Amino acid sequence: MGAIWDLIIFKPVLNVLVVLCRVLFSNFGLTIIVLTIIIRGLMYPLTIRQLRSTKAMESLQPKLAELKKKYARDKQKLAKEQMHLYKESGVSPMGCLVPMLIQMPIWIALYQSIMMALAVAPEGLLNLSRYLYPWRVVYSMLPLGSKFLWLNLAAPDRFLLLPILVGVTMWVQQKMVMPANPDPKQKSTTGMMLWMMPILFTFLSLQFPSGLALYWVTSNVISIVIQYFVTGWGGLVKSTAGEPGGRDKAYKKRIAQVEVGPSEDADVGADIVEPSSTQGGLGYEKSGDKRQDRGGGYPASLRRIRRQSRRSKGHRAKRG
Amino acid sequence: MWTKHNKVLLSKILLLLVMLLVVMSGLTTWGCVGGLRSVGWSGGVIADGTIFVGSLEGRLVAVSVADGTRQWSEPLTVSSSTGAFGCTAASMAVVIYGTPAVWGDLVYIGGYNSGKVYALDASSLQKRWVYPPEGNLQPIVGGPVVALGKVYFGCYDSDDKVGKVYALKADTGVKIWESSLGGGKIWSTPVIDGETVYISSFDKKLYALNAATGEKKWETAEAGGAIASAPAVYNSTVYFGSFDRYLYAVDAGDGSLKWRSEVEAGKWFWATPIIYNHTVYAPNLDGKIYVLDAESGRELIEAIDLGSPVSSAPVLVDGSIIVASEGGKIYAIKDNQKRELKDLATKISAPLCASNEVVYVHTQQPDTLYALNAQTGAELWHVSLSSE
Repeated sequence: MGAIWDLIIFKPVLNVLVVLCRVLFSNFGLTIIVLTIIIRGLMYPLTIRQLRSTKAMESLQPKLAELKKKYARDKQKLAKEQMHLYKESGVSPMGCLVPMLIQMPIWIALYQSIMMALAVAPEGLLNLSRYLYPWRVVYSMLPLGSKFLWLNLAAPDRFLLLPILVGVTMWVQQKMVMPANPDPKQKSTTGMMLWMMPILFTFLSLQFPSGLALYWVTSNVISIVIQYFVTGWGGLVKSTAGEPGGRDKAYKKRIAQVEVGPSEDADVGADIVEPSSTQGGLGYEKSGDKRQDRGGGYPASLRRIRRQSRRSKGHRAKRG
Repeated sequence: MWTKHNKVLLSKILLLLVMLLVVMSGLTTWGCVGGLRSVGWSGGVIADGTIFVGSLEGRLVAVSVADGTRQWSEPLTVSSSTGAFGCTAASMAVVIYGTPAVWGDLVYIGGYNSGKVYALDASSLQKRWVYPPEGNLQPIVGGPVVALGKVYFGCYDSDDKVGKVYALKADTGVKIWESSLGGGKIWSTPVIDGETVYISSFDKKLYALNAATGEKKWETAEAGGAIASAPAVYNSTVYFGSFDRYLYAVDAGDGSLKWRSEVEAGKWFWATPIIYNHTVYAPNLDGKIYVLDAESGRELIEAIDLGSPVSSAPVLVDGSIIVASEGGKIYAIKDNQKRELKDLATKISAPLCASNEVVYVHTQQPDTLYALNAQTGAELWHVSLSSE
């Protein structure tokens, strides 16, 4: 398994890193930034899919919550209704997970390559040779220089600027991913995650070579930019709450579809499942026909839940 | 009273803390972040029936060559300044890569993470002096050597951004001179031949210095890659291998190139070559020993394949080249034929040393010193260098 990992993922990333360093004037800091950008660029379609799926899932949460309430005592029925809802909305619950899983090995390889190429300890440099391609450019380049701006990339940043940047950029990115108006029940969890991850990575940046922190900062900044163009500032700015933000037309279309109901051409790349036209008697008319259903895109069963829910809420309110 | 909500919150916090611990331990172990942890690979030096070697605990260990009885120095430690929030231990063991050197009643050793050179009493293993007395130099990878009453060693100076060679008074540790070389790190041990100090650098050059004054005599033209290993001097010629996968021979008098090997090795030349009977035996990380004519650089026979990288410097014992592979096998090469002496089945990176037809091997996993008969490979004794 380890040999396959090295052959297919780790060695290519490591050797490209070294060659790129040669092209970029032997500046390893610049190399880390550029390679991170390149890899994030190659992963862009997957990142976009993941973001759109995540947001689409998020927009379904009120409906899922209603289903949970309705079928609290019937788990089987709940699962069935949830699946109906996903299919009707064209959203796959795995839609946000699969792209992330595909990207993970690349991140790990990039991370390992940076650490290996820095050869922090003599053992690191000694081990490095076994992963190199027999290219003259690769052999003659090593060991790579570790100076970049004020940093020694093989040691933690003495001025603490980079660890702080890691924490701040990660917090911003996490905040943007968070829903503008999170479910109160999940608020404590999301709030904790919002702070814990930046603190954790800031702490790690204080301990680990700054080359790694540079990679984290670059990666976070790229995530922030992509996130902005897909979903806008998200939870970072309250004014965007409830509205599909960002400049990504496909995402806006996706959210609009989730809100008003799916059509046959609902797939915008974010979600894997094609909306079903026959499932559970919730069929739609042909594309282009004016839709008869005025239920806001909710299945009939769900509309009933919503009406009951509204009535019961009103009743309780009067009692209160 | 614990409400249900508080319990859930507490369990989530505990879960996150566990995650944090898992991530931290995962990142800090080698399986996740290779090469972050310095371990050390000190070789041994023999004087007056005792072999001195640096242990992985940061101690100088004196072992009797007769029966393997041991004596440990106090652990050499260094204050940790990299830890944040005071979470790292206040002091940690010094990591030792260089082979110790002996002169009179003193043993010298260089510290990697301490950036210091230590002189210890050979019999009591008590510290005599430390250089620099205050502060520290950059990590010292190569070992010290002693000649003409001076201790020589090299390391990198990050302030001046140059490699430097230092000469200290062997008995007091007072600096006599320091010489700035090119812009590369220096990981190799200096080699003294007559009045000249030879030292290689990551800046792809080999330097020759006046041993008395530190004045630079000459420097070679740039090789194709960095030079990590110490050179070997033989018949007024200096031999060294480079990361460009070639071996070089330069004139000891003026540094002019005599030859560059025709054959290009598979990987880096990491260990110092050995020259015997007008033949260069150069171990390589591709697992082969390259056998070249010392005069011309021509390959005499096809490289001898040991099947595992060779990072440990070989030794010459009674006409045989004794060499260890990283995989733990010890071979004897004689008349260009290899013969397996012993399989220790553990990683070997430390240089070998030999005396009276006995070869001494320091293995890292576990931290053990083996004494083997150089003819038969029979194990005479082995001792753990760990004090526990």
